[in-house]
Amino acid sequence: MTLEPMPLFWLALTLLAYLGSRWLYRRSGRYLFSPLILVPAVLLAIAVPLHTAYAEYARNTHWLMSVLGPVTVAFAVPIWQQRALLARHWPALSLGMLVGSAASIGSSWGLAHVLALDSAVSLSLVPRSITTPFAMPLARDLGGVPELTAVFVMFTGVLGAMFGGVLLKYLPLRTPLARGALFGVGAHGAGVSRAHEVGGEEGSVAGLVMVLTGLLNLFAAPLLTMLL
Amino acid sequence: MKPPAFNRFVRLLAELAVLLALYKLGGVLAAWLAWPIPGGVIGLALLLLLFAGGVLKPAMLQLGAGVLMAEMLLFFIPALMSLLDYGSLLRDEGWRILLVIAVSTLLVMVVTALTVEWICRWRLRHDA
Repeated sequence: MTLEPMPLFWLALTLLAYLGSRWLYRRSGRYLFSPLILVPAVLLAIAVPLHTAYAEYARNTHWLMSVLGPVTVAFAVPIWQQRALLARHWPALSLGMLVGSAASIGSSWGLAHVLALDSAVSLSLVPRSITTPFAMPLARDLGGVPELTAVFVMFTGVLGAMFGGVLLKYLPLRTPLARGALFGVGAHGAGVSRAHEVGGEEGSVAGLVMVLTGLLNLFAAPLLTMLL
Repeated sequence: MKPPAFNRFVRLLAELAVLLALYKLGGVLAAWLAWPIPGGVIGLALLLLLFAGGVLKPAMLQLGAGVLMAEMLLFFIPALMSLLDYGSLLRDEGWRILLVIAVSTLLVMVVTALTVEWICRWRLRHDA
């Protein structure tokens, strides 16, 4: 069904759902109300019964995605602000990012093959651990579907933010650096918010590592194209 | 006299304009040099250079950069709605995809944290 009389219907609904969910999440603090979960849930609950196709939804909303470009530029701010941290701990952080990224790419790709997933799905799973502004262009480079990658990145964030809290109880981590890297490499933006709840230093480390891991993966694209 | 909220809004717009300009400039440079790097990443590098050269201070862009990063979720929600076209994929492969993501995420978190922790402890022992 098309909603021609209301051309901005989906844009208005997206903005409303986002603002409403953000307000609810801040007031209640319940993870289920976080915009990462509630907004897609609400939008899908309305779009699916209406048999809306993605193209129709995207017609007036796709421009929102183009803001992800300037977001990438904004990432320079946390990098610059945390440069002292990076200078002091670069060996641990860079090795952690390398090992974590290799584990993410290797296990996503390997498991996708073991479970006989479609090849476009497997390729779209490869960048799932990095933040969306980097993951979508990387998916395009690799021959995956950027939109699918965004979906997988979202699930990674939701699951990772949950797992991270549990892992902190069982892993013998004494340094805020390790606790922050766990969230930044493993669960990108959702993990960074969770890391800020654990502690200030954990949050800073997670934010820095999230951006750098995205860059690292993006620069590894030519190598990945050769391997995959 | 202008209300502070208005000034803040103008300031936000100005900061966003700077970030947008760097993004566009990055895209132009990428096309001109024929580099396979997204314009945003080149914009990021340019901004780091401006910080390093003392031309800009992070505080000058804190408001705009902060808003962009804090509301990032809004900007990728449209991509999530691609699920509308992948109903059959989800029915056929959904659980397997979720399993891949869950297992891989756990693995990434464990190996990353243990690697960083191990190096930190090693350095503590050897620096002391």
